[in-house]
Amino acid sequence: MLKKVCAVELIGIVCGWMWFWLINRYRVARLGKLDVDRRWRKLQLSSNRSRAQLFGSAFFSFLSLLVSIICCVAGVLTLLLLPVLAKNTYISENALMPSSEIPEMIGKHIIESGGEVSYHQIQPISDNFHPLQFFLGPAVGIVHENYSCTSYGINTVGIVRAPRGDGKEAIVIVTPYNSVKTTTSEALSLRVAYSVFSLLSRVSWLAKDIIWLAADSRHGEHAAVAAWLRDCYALSRGDLEKNQDMCGASSVLGHELTSVKRNGVSNGFRRAGTTAAALVIKVADRSTGFEKDGLKIYAEASNGQMPNLDLINIVNYLAVHGQGLQVRVEKIWSLLDSWWLYSLGELQELLGKVAKSLNPDWKFGIPASDYVEGCATLASSLYNQALGVPTGPHGAFCDFQVDSITLEFSPRFSSSQRVLFLLHAGRLVEGVIRSVNNLLEKFHQSFFLYLMTSPSRFVSVGIYMIAFALLIAPLPLVAAALFSDASKSKSGKDDVSLEPSHPGESIPTITAWNWLHTAKTFPNSSPLTNLLMWIASSLVGLLFTCAASGSLSISRASQLQIREWTLLKAVTVTAAFIGLCLMSVINYATAQIGALPLVPMCLMAVPLRFHVSAKTMKALLRGACNILLDDFWNWTESLRAWNSATYIYICMVNLPCWVLCIRILLHRR
Amino acid sequence: MATSFKFKPLTISILLLFLYNAIASSASGSSSTTMHTNNWAILVCTSRFWFNYRHMANTLSLYRTVKRLGIPDERIILMLADDMACNARNKYPAQVFNNENHLLNLYGDNVEVDYRGYEVTVENFLRILTGRHERAVPRSKRLLSDEGSHILLYMTGHGGDEFLKFQDSEELQSHDLADAVKQMKEKRRFKELLIMVDTCQAATLFSQLQSPGVLAIGSSKKGENSYSHHLDSDVGVSVVDRFTFYTLAFFESLNMYDNASLSSLFTSYNPNTLMSTAYYRTDLYQRRLEEVPVTNFFGSVMETIHTDSPYRAFSNRYYRKSKTEMPSDQSGGGNRRALKDLDILEELADPKLNVRPLQSTYLLVHEG
Repeated sequence: MLKKVCAVELIGIVCGWMWFWLINRYRVARLGKLDVDRRWRKLQLSSNRSRAQLFGSAFFSFLSLLVSIICCVAGVLTLLLLPVLAKNTYISENALMPSSEIPEMIGKHIIESGGEVSYHQIQPISDNFHPLQFFLGPAVGIVHENYSCTSYGINTVGIVRAPRGDGKEAIVIVTPYNSVKTTTSEALSLRVAYSVFSLLSRVSWLAKDIIWLAADSRHGEHAAVAAWLRDCYALSRGDLEKNQDMCGASSVLGHELTSVKRNGVSNGFRRAGTTAAALVIKVADRSTGFEKDGLKIYAEASNGQMPNLDLINIVNYLAVHGQGLQVRVEKIWSLLDSWWLYSLGELQELLGKVAKSLNPDWKFGIPASDYVEGCATLASSLYNQALGVPTGPHGAFCDFQVDSITLEFSPRFSSSQRVLFLLHAGRLVEGVIRSVNNLLEKFHQSFFLYLMTSPSRFVSVGIYMIAFALLIAPLPLVAAALFSDASKSKSGKDDVSLEPSHPGESIPTITAWNWLHTAKTFPNSSPLTNLLMWIASSLVGLLFTCAASGSLSISRASQLQIREWTLLKAVTVTAAFIGLCLMSVINYATAQIGALPLVPMCLMAVPLRFHVSAKTMKALLRGACNILLDDFWNWTESLRAWNSATYIYICMVNLPCWVLCIRILLHRR
Repeated sequence: MATSFKFKPLTISILLLFLYNAIASSASGSSSTTMHTNNWAILVCTSRFWFNYRHMANTLSLYRTVKRLGIPDERIILMLADDMACNARNKYPAQVFNNENHLLNLYGDNVEVDYRGYEVTVENFLRILTGRHERAVPRSKRLLSDEGSHILLYMTGHGGDEFLKFQDSEELQSHDLADAVKQMKEKRRFKELLIMVDTCQAATLFSQLQSPGVLAIGSSKKGENSYSHHLDSDVGVSVVDRFTFYTLAFFESLNMYDNASLSSLFTSYNPNTLMSTAYYRTDLYQRRLEEVPVTNFFGSVMETIHTDSPYRAFSNRYYRKSKTEMPSDQSGGGNRRALKDLDILEELADPKLNVRPLQSTYLLVHEG
């Protein structure tokens, strides 16, 4: 905890250095220009110069205002138009060839073991569930693994070696189940995986090994899968015997071990080739309200990483065309009922119709209901990516650059059709595995950066970046306008009051670093020490850098109070711009969602006129902060627990910008 | 002195005879006058990867067909860029099918692949055509054709505008092909050449050809794709291309002695079933297609003319004056023929040679 805070602080100091460097560079560039300006003025002493300059600066600020308004509105509009601009998905990789094979999974395989399904239903599996029974085939290696002494869980791993493959690649099927209290749905997902696994151990077309990981999810699905992956990729692995020695005579573990030995199965950590793709199979507890069996795809991994679009495409293609499942991706349901979205949808539908009547070749505009659904899905996609927290155990694979998704089946729960459901689900998994098995290289052909608007429609990076680019485009412009405004009036004053021989360096330096002086005065008495410690420390870091450079002269600051807030705003806007640009490289969705409130806030921040009530305002604000930020802090803590880059974004970009904006608001004129 | 003077005109006449012979043979070097004496086939599959299974199946199907129609294995150069039969994804190990009914395994016992895997390169392909091999290359991997050869060149893979992709890494351009064919012509490596290409935009590959005696047919015109015929859902891939499928269907009803003409083959392609337009280029070819049987290229049908004399020579080692019953009407150039006969007589007169030349008992002649 403390370590992480320290690390963040360190990053803050580094960031501060970067800011300092950037602004210094800008100052130097400006300085050169000023010198040239001054010489120019010496040469021609025309009287209408100052009037033209004034007009120019007014025009410039008007232009920046216009541009910022237009760009912000256009950015938001483009974001809202993304569902319309979405393209249909297509399978880009030739080698995949989904559904070119007839599924071999015939009902026989499942009906043979149909009795076992009911058995799972009746008895609690924690007592009678013995995963070892599944792996008695000769081609199967079994691994028992525990990952912590005090609270161990046992992942069960089965491997089918490809009979004629080179053993360099593998496909992983994951079925999380709680070994303490296995629910019916978990048993069903194990059933699906077992059916597929037993089929795959007999087929002759495997080119990649198949690994079935029955992940013990008693301490969380993600943790179990991540632990297995860690050991899989680490050089030293958690061996069962070693751990047993460490843990002493753990009775259950000892029992497992003897049974392992009795069955003559190795208990060393078995590996297969590098993982080409992973499928997490889950069955939802509640049934769908639909006629068909449903399938829900979760794809978002940590920090907005997505698996290759081809993987989603083949699952969607096989599920819809092969097995007749109803495929869905997550959406924000509350948006579906929003009237304004619906009216917007109707508007774009109308526009599309008008455009079509003008020129039949113009085809845009989708039905309003589709638009609303697209928006809801897009919003959910954006939100999940922005959060940077994986939506399922597949996230652990994405951390190792393995393409993976979670498939959540939701069957119609009528026991007579259970076998039919198993057949559909099993065939789908088999089809996906066979398709991935055909793959010759890593997934690379299709998109990695995209947002889903429906299971079969997506927005690629080239289109969604437009919205973001439009939104942040006015920031550097406004910053430049503000800064030049402030400096210009200052330099004009220089011409009048100061001699040309006066060293010109100190003025821009002071103006550029005055905001630090102002920011330093921010009330530091908030009880949220955790949060403010960072802000303070980063500011201290910044001050330290300034002091080290020795260019900060506070004595002159009082003279320049008037222009101070303009400069402060310029710096805020620049900081927001740099932060957002950096974040958009790391996680687009975070930057996009962050830009929506941040950009207008930064652009509109103006000192409040009634500075009489500034003190009471401050008190009020502090109170609000105390209430709001407590929850907010908890939320960011959870983000940090998931190693989400969003946490860094909030600390490094969002909070400083807020602080600066608040400072502008409370600035005395 | 007197005797030597007497002999002088004789030597001059013999010299003249040789000179005439040389001129005659050089004149007959132009393909129109040389007899068609043998057939060769070069069958090339240029694609790697499991999903290009059908290209290997195409080539192997054609291999089987030309073998059935009489071209022996030593005169077929088979190039396969990948080994689908041994691919781990193949549900039927060591077998290749070109139809989903799986009745015919194309990869049976008698398949001799000359160039396999990464040996299939543009360089090796051009070396085969032009005959410029390194010394170590065995005869079985060379195209040992001569000016009396009819060559079938069949290529399949992924192509585009004026190129054919080899191995996913390099490509053969139409200029390269035309240049190689021109060299072949100059080195008298063929009498007639039929180039058959089953790729997308196959017609563009022929656009630079200039050499006479070349006939070319492609599965599709410029801007058109060639399509696979059907998918074998058991194996999980498409197993044959349309153009090749209908070519094979045409040949399946033929046997060695049928006289179906090239034009009947070329008109058998239906653009609707092919989903592309088969294109053939005939402007470099002298003969009328109606008169040329398909077996001129896809088979090797030779008439056997039996001569008794070698047997007699063989049975009686001391039989010195054998008389060959060479059919003298087969070719023009009486002098040449006479000289040849003379040579044979001389050879036969030599008792040591009598035992050896068993192959000279058969004189292979094209049936016409």
